[in-house]
Amino acid sequence: MTRAHARQTSTSPEVAQDVPARAGGNAPRAIALADAIRRCRWIAIELGAQDFAFCTVGSAADSGRLVPCFDSEHPVASASTRLLDDGIGEQLLRQVRHSTAPCWWADEAEAEAFAGLVWTNRLEPTAGGGRGIAFPVYSDCGQAGLFVFAGAQLAPSSAALHDLHGRCFQLFNSIAGLARGRAAAMPSMSRREIECLKLTSRGYTSEEIAKELKLSVHTANQYLTQTTQKLNAVNRMHAVAKALRLGLID
Amino acid sequence: MTALAARTAQTTVAARLASRSDLTAFFMGLTDEIGADGYMLVAISHDQDRDNLQIIASNWIYDAIQMAGHALIAGLAQSPYASAPGVRPQSLVASQAPALLGGEEARLLEVLGHSEIFALRLQVGRQRLFVLFSAAEAGQIDATAMPRAQLECCYALSQAQGILASASLQDPLSDRERECLFWVSEGKTTEEVALILGVSSNTVNSYITHAIQKLSASNRAMAIATAIRSGII
Repeated sequence: MTRAHARQTSTSPEVAQDVPARAGGNAPRAIALADAIRRCRWIAIELGAQDFAFCTVGSAADSGRLVPCFDSEHPVASASTRLLDDGIGEQLLRQVRHSTAPCWWADEAEAEAFAGLVWTNRLEPTAGGGRGIAFPVYSDCGQAGLFVFAGAQLAPSSAALHDLHGRCFQLFNSIAGLARGRAAAMPSMSRREIECLKLTSRGYTSEEIAKELKLSVHTANQYLTQTTQKLNAVNRMHAVAKALRLGLID
Repeated sequence: MTALAARTAQTTVAARLASRSDLTAFFMGLTDEIGADGYMLVAISHDQDRDNLQIIASNWIYDAIQMAGHALIAGLAQSPYASAPGVRPQSLVASQAPALLGGEEARLLEVLGHSEIFALRLQVGRQRLFVLFSAAEAGQIDATAMPRAQLECCYALSQAQGILASASLQDPLSDRERECLFWVSEGKTTEEVALILGVSSNTVNSYITHAIQKLSASNRAMAIATAIRSGII
């Protein structure tokens, strides 16, 4: 845990035990994969869904793809392929960048089951038939993901939709915490190193950083070289991007 | 109009916020529903050493905004009290949060009629916005209605892209510019990006220069940071 994190935790308000971790405060409770799948299954049961899949959205602008993480047939992962086939995956990918609203698809005859869902988006139905609903989610550090539920009995109620989507958000933050915990390669950085990196991300040049922090230009550069090495980055731009994505700076 | 669009229009599943007045009506309705008096929808961008606050919609009186000041409002939106979707929101009561607010700021908020504030973080696609719901008296807002209201805001704003775009909050980069910036953020040099994309180095540099200008950044590192913070790459 970095010093920056510790500082944030100490300023966060008193939170009751059962309140999940909050943004910018304590890190989300990391959970095991089996736990995540179980929690996802509960959501599926409430939706009347048979299959579910969870995938993250690659960050690389338009080359970003859906990366399947787990599904209802874990560890075979055949449900992901089935659910995201038929053009549904591409349609969802287009939606997730701009819209948080749940997306659903169904044949014309079955569309009534979804008629009461205000604010939701409708996708082109698949050639193979069937129905499903997807919830876009976004983590605290800007990652995007999708929970997809499908099955012939799928019948989402508009009253429960927000609650279920909220739980998907929560679950995603736990999973994102899990991935960060596993990486465990969170480098330990000094306060000065973090400061230099932060100023770089705000557009400061080495000279400006030196002036701001009352260091010599050489020392400022030295700190930045160290952070670049610690983050296993190839240059400053890379180091800034990595630090932002890891949540070392904001 | 495609056949599907026509059918969707018939079933009117996707409600839309087509204009500014729709947006105002939506927020007034929601504010009323949860028992709040005030709402304020803002976007925050980081610039050098300060936060830029952009107020997209609000029913705070003009004087209240001037007196509270942008810095205080941005601070409230980004405080540890601001909750992401899926996290049970917790309110900030002006008289009980001396750690976050100076005594004078707390009194000012009370005088202005914002004694209790719920700060909610919204996700509209990858874009992050904040909404503050406030009330003159603590306990007036129905806290149990907040999680639903928070997602309702996310959904509604997702269907209001036209309005948000006019607030110039939308991803301003072209696909090529975004792609170049992404590869630079992965540590690639101009020459390497040129090789990856199959264009000349000059072209890559010009894409990146445009991206830097559009993001009003002062150099590459800042452009990358801005783009990552706003979820563009």
